[in-house]
Amino acid sequence: MELARYILRRMVLSAFVVLGVTFLVFIVAQVVPSDPASLYAGPRPTAEQIEKARQELHLDAPLIERFAGFAKAMATGDFGVSYKSRRLIAEDLRAYLPATLELAVFSTGLALLIGIPLGVLAAARQGKWPDRLGSLSSIAAVAMPTFFLAMILQLIFAQWLGFLPLSGRLSREISITAPLQMVTGFNLFDALLAGRLDAFGDAFRHLILPALTLASYPAGVAMRLTRSAMIEILERRHVTAARALGLSEPRILFSHALPNAMGPALTVIGLSFAYALTGAVLVEIIFAWPGLGRYVSEAILAKDFPVIAAVTMVVTICYVVMNLFIDIAQALVDPRVALS
Amino acid sequence: MNRRHFLQTAALAALASATTSRWNLAMAEGNGSIFTLAYPTSFPDLDPATSFSNDGAVLANVYEGLTRYIPATETTEAKIEPLLATSWDVSEDGKTWTFHLRDGVKFHDGSPLTSEAVKGSIERTKKIGGGAAFIWGSVSSIETPDPLTVVFKLSDPQPVDLIASAGFAAWIYAPSSHDKDNAWFNTGNDAGTGPFRISRYEPGQRAVLDRAEAYWGKVPEGGFQTISFEIIEDTTLAQNMIESGQADWTESIPFENLEAMKSNPDLRVVVNPSFETLFGLYNVKRAPLDKVKVRQALSLAFPYDDVISAGTMGLGTRAKGVVPAGIWGHDAEAPIPQTDLKAAAALLAEEGVEPGLELVMTYSTTQALSAVAGELWKANLETLGIKLTLQPMAWEAQWQLGKSNPEAAQDIFVMFWWPTFVTPYDYLVSLFHSEEKPNFNLGYYSDPEVDAKIDEAAKLSGTDRPRAEKLFIEAQRKVIEDAAAVFMLDRPNVHIIRSDIKGYTDNPAYGHVTFVNELSR
Amino acid sequence: MNRLVQRLGWPGTIALGVVLVIVLVAVFAPWVAPYPQQGVGAPNVAAKLSSPSAQYWLGTDHLGRDMLSRIIYGTRVSLTNGVLIVTFSLLIGLPVGLAAGYFGGWIDEALMRGTDIFLAFPALLLAVLMAAALGPGFLNSIIAVSVTWWPWYARLARSEVLVLRGQPYVEAARLAGVSHARIIARHILPATARPLTVQAALDVGPALLTAAALSFLGLGVLPPTADWGQMVDAGRKFFPARWWYSAMPGLAIFIVALAFSVLGDALRDRKGGASRGAA
Repeated sequence: MELARYILRRMVLSAFVVLGVTFLVFIVAQVVPSDPASLYAGPRPTAEQIEKARQELHLDAPLIERFAGFAKAMATGDFGVSYKSRRLIAEDLRAYLPATLELAVFSTGLALLIGIPLGVLAAARQGKWPDRLGSLSSIAAVAMPTFFLAMILQLIFAQWLGFLPLSGRLSREISITAPLQMVTGFNLFDALLAGRLDAFGDAFRHLILPALTLASYPAGVAMRLTRSAMIEILERRHVTAARALGLSEPRILFSHALPNAMGPALTVIGLSFAYALTGAVLVEIIFAWPGLGRYVSEAILAKDFPVIAAVTMVVTICYVVMNLFIDIAQALVDPRVALS
Repeated sequence: MNRRHFLQTAALAALASATTSRWNLAMAEGNGSIFTLAYPTSFPDLDPATSFSNDGAVLANVYEGLTRYIPATETTEAKIEPLLATSWDVSEDGKTWTFHLRDGVKFHDGSPLTSEAVKGSIERTKKIGGGAAFIWGSVSSIETPDPLTVVFKLSDPQPVDLIASAGFAAWIYAPSSHDKDNAWFNTGNDAGTGPFRISRYEPGQRAVLDRAEAYWGKVPEGGFQTISFEIIEDTTLAQNMIESGQADWTESIPFENLEAMKSNPDLRVVVNPSFETLFGLYNVKRAPLDKVKVRQALSLAFPYDDVISAGTMGLGTRAKGVVPAGIWGHDAEAPIPQTDLKAAAALLAEEGVEPGLELVMTYSTTQALSAVAGELWKANLETLGIKLTLQPMAWEAQWQLGKSNPEAAQDIFVMFWWPTFVTPYDYLVSLFHSEEKPNFNLGYYSDPEVDAKIDEAAKLSGTDRPRAEKLFIEAQRKVIEDAAAVFMLDRPNVHIIRSDIKGYTDNPAYGHVTFVNELSR
Repeated sequence: MNRLVQRLGWPGTIALGVVLVIVLVAVFAPWVAPYPQQGVGAPNVAAKLSSPSAQYWLGTDHLGRDMLSRIIYGTRVSLTNGVLIVTFSLLIGLPVGLAAGYFGGWIDEALMRGTDIFLAFPALLLAVLMAAALGPGFLNSIIAVSVTWWPWYARLARSEVLVLRGQPYVEAARLAGVSHARIIARHILPATARPLTVQAALDVGPALLTAAALSFLGLGVLPPTADWGQMVDAGRKFFPARWWYSAMPGLAIFIVALAFSVLGDALRDRKGGASRGAA
């Protein structure tokens, strides 16, 4: 009962937050010191062309009316056209959102895969050199500017060693000679659906560097959280009892202690996902990854506001929904959360 | 996996291997048939009526206009070449232009080129009124006395032969497409007469063009069958591609990296002047820039040579006024100032300008060259006691500020200009002719003598070009004398091509366009 | 010294040293920089893009300016960015959190739901959105980041106040008819300000990292002011052939952020506080 009420409350709050976000994005749009009509009218418009654009975009309508139009557009997912390219934004999003989500999911997985085992190791060797090295590198991961890490990885793995691609999402050879049919938009899935192992391998290789860049910080956090959760549990009674019974140390770690590290893992999933969505702006530019981040950063330079608004809305909704799921999952794993 | 799904997968696989084998075939022929361009930007609009951006690179291989402009070189004069029109003549008053069309030209849909098609194309372009459609502004009616003759009636004298050679909005397209909307073109359909047609278009990724059958023009031996425009925003990647032979052509490699590429025998670095000129318009409505001598002093303080060397690795050229070299009306002997800080200080002292003067220079955030120019100029002005604030802005915001109230606007407006069609008129009337409401004359310069000369020259552009040229040069000299602007430099066009490509020439009248039909390997 | 090491541990002490050195470098930049003129922006075109040498220890940039001098001047922008962001955020977050926590009820609900909206944005995205709207500039970029930063302090302040409000001496004061303003000023504010200021100090590192990300995107200070994020971006064009242009300022950001976060970690181990990442 408590749980159901908690979930309901979280959902209502999330809906409210999304409404607030819409309002905030709209307000910011109003203070942009630029003329959308002249952007929409092309690179060298005449006064008449600008006037025509102003009418087409309803820029002279009263503020309230424009907010209503904006809110309706956001609610129906009809984001209109980009001022700059005049392409349908919804169509662009369909191509770019999966690319960003693929990166976010992959980097989250990578963060857990790196962070949790290292955390377990650090807890098992508490105070010894693996522990120290681990905690030092997790601090370094926090302090490392994403954009700088991306460049270093490119330099080492693409330029010097040359065994991973510099940038992009698929090799040109593949996308020209035998393009992947876009079904889900997730290249890894689409490659499997089409039974194309060559494309799968290629897409996978392209994912590694950007995902590694995005995973470094959450992996550090995952390591620290796992470590402290494990240490706490290892000191608990049933583990001590297991030890007394003569169970081997690895067995204790993986069968008794690790399941209790679920909570931290969930936290890290939420955090990593959010971090990937945010960091996409920086990482996608550097890796020429055709996702939302690159899309929005180009729009920012051009002050192409409908695009900026649409991406902000979509990313924020992804973020809010993700947080909602994490909160609910955490409440299910640990009912105390719902009561607090 | 159910049966239907299985069949689908099988069909897809077959399709995939079919395209693979075609590609392999082309490869087997010694890579001879595909010309690959690593193009730095995407193509926002493929509609020949409204396109007014980098999409010209694609469209110029698909569509043709009535004429083509061939710029002047050191040995030859600029001229206008027949394209879809074979000849043309103009009436005494410059208001009636008659074009005779080439016989036997077919659009890609098989329909013949007729005067009706020309009329329909230009009328659609005018009616939509987007992009560069304004170049046809003076055309009041188009007549079609017979299938191969088009007559343009104008409201005022204009050089229609030049207008018809414009890089945008002058394309002729098939009648079957005249009722199509913008979206139809932007899904990758085309309706041109050119040597290539669009066979695949993936927005933001690539455009693939295949040779059109029954092209009317000459095709060189070993000409390319396919063009692939690969959109590569990352300059490092573009450089990798051209060095490894994955691409045959690229541009926008940082100037600093060109040295190494020049010494690479596989590559040819082609440097040409472009028609893009960089300048700063002085706000003549604001003190103390309303005084000629103060403006002259600022121009004397501009580090012309340093900007060319630091900003373009010495590849740019000194701007001789506003009309760049290669365009008729260019003034090679223009009395341009040289950097001279002492003379600048003397002029400032003469006008009683005290140290501590603060000026604001606006420029577009995307233009690194403007930032370099600004930073170097700022350092020079500092020695004269003038503080120059550099204000990068989004272009629309910069323009908006410039168009608002001149008294409250920037002091110096820095921008590039390139002509919509090749005429000095485009530069002079846009930037220095009096405007009631500022549009592109963002220094708000106004001089009746200059206005009269520009207007008179415009009238003569179609009928008496030498006389028009003389008037344009006179107007320009007055602008330089009045120091209405600081003419910073003419930007170089730098293209890198593989050295086994034959027949490459760069035509600055069509910026960043490669006419692939003329090339072979 | 011994006591310091005991308190902070060796890594913490070294980090504290690094932070102090950086602050000194920032303050005395004109005396420390080998070419102070170039640090401020004077071009030196003849030496453009030279590799590191005895004359230019860290090489030069596209206008021939000494990278070391530019980086030294960059500490000023970077540190002020960090400090001003947390200060602005504190100035907004603290009152909001105080009001919400102290008055409770609908005021609390309204203020905290408003805060939630700001927290719902991925932080960097909101900062980028704000910076794009305000246009590039030193103060603008600081405001843009502060907008994403203050809600954390509002939450923290509120939770502190909630604890204090239940304290007997606060209850007593209220029953005695002391005005709200006086109670807040006398009892609540001083007790709340301390933990918040500590948290803010720890956040300087992440804050300057976020600011660096903004200037990397071209939304930071105006040229020719030296700024690390902007330098990394400018050098990207020449990377990796002229690696020093991007690498040196990138390394500078990393070292400063690392020093702050090691120091923060050392302090937190004693105090117990939340850690937070940036882009």
